Amino acid sequence: MKKVRKFDAVPKLNGSYKFLDDYTRPNLLYGGFLYAKFHHGKLKQIKFPKKFSKDEFTIVSYKDILGENIVPEPENDQPFLVEQEVMHYGQIILGIAHPNKKKLKQFIDNIEVEYEEMPAITDIEECLSDENNVFGRVLEIKHPAEIGNTSHLIHTKRIYRTPHQEQAYLETQAMLAEYDKEKKEIFVLGTMQCPFFVKSALDAIFGDTIHNSVVETSEGIGGGFGGKEDFPNIIAGITALLAYKSGRPVKTVLDREDDIQITTKRHPSRVEVESYTDPITHKIRKLNIDYRLDAGAFQTLSPVVLSRGVLHASSGYAVEDCYIKGRLFRSNTPSNGAFRGFGAPQALFAIESHIDNVAAQLGIDPYTLRKKNILKIGKEFPTSQPIIENHLEDCLEKVIEISDYHEKYREYKQWNLEHKVKKGIGLSLGLHGGGYTGNGEKILNSKIKLVIEKNADINIYVANTDMGQGAHTTLAQMVDEAIEHPHNKTRVVIPNTNKAPNSGPTVASRTIYIVGNMLRNLIKEVKKELGFDNLETYVKAHQADFPREFRSLFKPDPQAIFDDETYKGVAYKDYSWAACVVEITYDPTTYEINLEKCWNVLDIGETVNPEIARGQVEGGVVQALGWGLSEFFYKKGFGRKQGFTDYTMLTSRDIPELNIEFIHTDNPIPKGLGEIPMDYPAPALRNAFLNATGVGIDEIPLTPEKIFANLEEK
Amino acid sequence: MKLEFILNDKAVSLEVDPMKRLLDILREDFGLTGTKESCGEGECGACTVLLDGKPVTSCLVNAVHAENKQVVTSEGIAQKPLGKLLIACFDETNAVQCGFCFPGFLVSSYYYLKNDGEPNLEKIKTALSGNICRCTGYQKIFDSVMMACHRKQEQEK
Amino acid sequence: MKFYKPKNLTELFQISEKIAGKKYFLAGGTDINVQIKKKMITDEPIIYINHLEELQGIRETDESIIIGSLCSYQELLNSPLIAKYLPFFRASLVNFASPLLQTMATIGGNIANGSPTADVTPLLLVLDAQIILMAKSKMRHIPLRDFFTGYKQFNLKKNEIIGGVQITKNAETGYKTFYKKVGSRKALTIAKVALAGLKNSEEYKLAVGSLNEYPRRLSKIEEYLASTNTPESVKLEELLKQEITPISDMRSDKDYRFQVCLNLLLEFIQI
Repeated sequence: MKKVRKFDAVPKLNGSYKFLDDYTRPNLLYGGFLYAKFHHGKLKQIKFPKKFSKDEFTIVSYKDILGENIVPEPENDQPFLVEQEVMHYGQIILGIAHPNKKKLKQFIDNIEVEYEEMPAITDIEECLSDENNVFGRVLEIKHPAEIGNTSHLIHTKRIYRTPHQEQAYLETQAMLAEYDKEKKEIFVLGTMQCPFFVKSALDAIFGDTIHNSVVETSEGIGGGFGGKEDFPNIIAGITALLAYKSGRPVKTVLDREDDIQITTKRHPSRVEVESYTDPITHKIRKLNIDYRLDAGAFQTLSPVVLSRGVLHASSGYAVEDCYIKGRLFRSNTPSNGAFRGFGAPQALFAIESHIDNVAAQLGIDPYTLRKKNILKIGKEFPTSQPIIENHLEDCLEKVIEISDYHEKYREYKQWNLEHKVKKGIGLSLGLHGGGYTGNGEKILNSKIKLVIEKNADINIYVANTDMGQGAHTTLAQMVDEAIEHPHNKTRVVIPNTNKAPNSGPTVASRTIYIVGNMLRNLIKEVKKELGFDNLETYVKAHQADFPREFRSLFKPDPQAIFDDETYKGVAYKDYSWAACVVEITYDPTTYEINLEKCWNVLDIGETVNPEIARGQVEGGVVQALGWGLSEFFYKKGFGRKQGFTDYTMLTSRDIPELNIEFIHTDNPIPKGLGEIPMDYPAPALRNAFLNATGVGIDEIPLTPEKIFANLEEK
Repeated sequence: MKLEFILNDKAVSLEVDPMKRLLDILREDFGLTGTKESCGEGECGACTVLLDGKPVTSCLVNAVHAENKQVVTSEGIAQKPLGKLLIACFDETNAVQCGFCFPGFLVSSYYYLKNDGEPNLEKIKTALSGNICRCTGYQKIFDSVMMACHRKQEQEK
Repeated sequence: MKFYKPKNLTELFQISEKIAGKKYFLAGGTDINVQIKKKMITDEPIIYINHLEELQGIRETDESIIIGSLCSYQELLNSPLIAKYLPFFRASLVNFASPLLQTMATIGGNIANGSPTADVTPLLLVLDAQIILMAKSKMRHIPLRDFFTGYKQFNLKKNEIIGGVQITKNAETGYKTFYKKVGSRKALTIAKVALAGLKNSEEYKLAVGSLNEYPRRLSKIEEYLASTNTPESVKLEELLKQEITPISDMRSDKDYRFQVCLNLLLEFIQI
């Protein structure tokens, strides 16, 4: 647990690190997209502007696709390019390239698209309240129990709503593609999380026309947060098609405005929670959850988000009789996709808000209700997965202690009687299963490779990208520390599908948890096999054997079995746990919430690099509080907001004081980290507002307008 | 127009459209790609540079604005003693994540450190409030700038 | 896009006169470059003025502070004259836009853009600022409150430009002051509601932003407050309905805007 600095910090600061738009090529064309500016309709005609000579431009439509016009996804239902029917605003109709960036933009801006308009669903509430919009598989988790007569139990039924959220990675989506005619090979360089996803997209769009496709990431990846999980497939596919058709390298860099309009977002949710609670014992005896997500126009990876959502829907509570249902709803908006948390933040917002609503109804404090129902040894998840540790309760107790929760809870009650500006304190629990859900990791079957060079440097070959989370520093550190190798010699080679084996996508908090642990085990095996104490000495003595390559495969735990049909069994082998307290002040003059403090206690197992881990939590928490407070799209009756002027992320002056503690760091493995800090803060914020005002608003973001409207209703 | 200005302490000139954005001049004509474009409307600070010593969003500055002025980019600041001090602090705290916004933060922090430098959290927050970071939650950025302020004070003693 | 860079004010008027249609003056560029990006400006001629010394600087006369229209927010914040004579004005400017935009954004540009949300205008209105309008051979001063006539419409003659603003040195003296800008966050934000107020034992001065087609004084409420020692909130609400016309847009809602304005007004009365 030594302090290891990020290898890429200094070059990122002095500007020498290259992000995608910093690369160029001789003879380069710039790529751009013509996308639909209407929600639903049939294409009739595309009119190109007469003042431009169309021949100067390389243009690709669905007709130019040599393989299949379907983006590979868990559900293969989305085309790369529109054929006849536009299903959502922002759907790409044409790819266009030209040597002059400005001219390209003017040309695209002046293309007229004629279409026959069709009815569209663009409002979230309209989408999620009409069961006719359901599509895809309905998921159910059943944990029935005979609890007898419920008439003496406290019945609570509420609906919780969350909006879209923009990933807002600071580097917009971008790809550079080249076609080598002689080798019949496509090369794509890009900002992405999953190089092998992009490769499969290229193989889909080109079919047998090409012999090979190679995907590499740019040196720097300017943030991902899930937004660069699957959308890069589309950009890469179309950009590569343009490179193929023109015979020249093509670079497509999305404008912020376009990026916001056309790429994936966090799924809006509508979650109905119904509970029956014993007024004497404070046990929640029965829980029904109806979890709904607005998937957008296509399913793409939404079924997987839905799966994680239902598996986190009962949060950290043990309920005898529990039924959870999850469904996807279709709307005429861009497909929603991956975003840090992946369905869990929506689920936790609902249940963690609900707990406070129940506590208010019972007239007890929210801590006590949580404590009475918390998951611990002897209890089980609704999937019947048994609980093997009491770490969630440890997080809860610790956060209560460091935040001085009980004292403040009392103190603020008194304060609020006497003051106009109110104070509030809110609590939430969080949990996040590491890695792919259920049998996902088994199916992924990740592969990794290490090369020990002649000078005893170790090069790591994996497909996992460093988009800022510090994964490459941490992975190298894990390898070094496993064999006490000096830091600064081990590197993760920039992911390239020709060089690295497929170690799976950079998603699901799996990079350190799955891939890191594989690397650590591999280097330990290597050490055992070769029998060295000091690698450098060994390599010097056995120069002829090096460079030498070592590989390994993911070894699933045979005990961890999940039944995908019944949703029973071990959904996630290792859960990370968290508890959070948010303190706010509330000004009734302007209906504004001010974030004061946020206390976080997490069990993520071993913290390989505590400072990097802390940075992950700080960043995730602020994203989550922004989602809870000020970020949203699609205000009813208005178009999707454009640009950062009106997509209001928290600035340096808006954030609360952050306190973070890790517990149970003596755990032998590092568990999932990236997503859990996104999962739990929003309900704690919402509960703090309830504490401050006595008004529970079951919907985020808690904008002053929403608060005002809610108070007016009451 | 013929544009003459001082770029990172060196006199430069070029023939350019007077409305061309300073951001594009830096990136395209001088290959200084440390200055990044993110929002393109002055609301994120990724393209921050110093214009006559003051921080500006170079996506909203035109060629004509830079005429006969001093322009300093993150690359230039990285060469200056206070710039080096800041980089060392950002590095030590492991503050940098994706790094796309950091050249901009470096410029804003440098301006604060040079012209005020008081280790005061509220002042630092205000000085950095034109720069958006989506990865870090800002905390480590504050820690780094605070550290740099303290070190600068020690050096001056 | 035709581009002009006049050597001086005289040349500026010559160029300006020759352009019959729509044209834009480029000062700090913080609005114009956004409008270009959003294709709200495409081919219209641009006249660069940011270098014109005649429109720069802050200076004092015996009675007044004169702020050149090209004066940036940063200059205002750093000006000893502003700090000495208009400390409330200065303190209210601190959180405008962001420190990065304050370097380039000019006071003249903020007014000329004509946005209902313009940050500086409500403050200038309660300070009874005069706007200085310059033409080729003439200059006139009119109260800023008479300058706006509609949404992005001004009391501006053909080929007249904004030369600057003039504020009397004692504009704040002896008054209790109030300024609140409500945005979506604490920095980098556009006002949803803004209220500026001055009061002493004899009079009230109140101005609002983001609540009408242009920022304006609330004269009826000013008169009412001056006429009574016990203002009634029902009456205030009634008068406010006559004075502001908030709208619902993607940033906020009309009912919220109205209520917050009323709340701020009540807060102002209590200071």
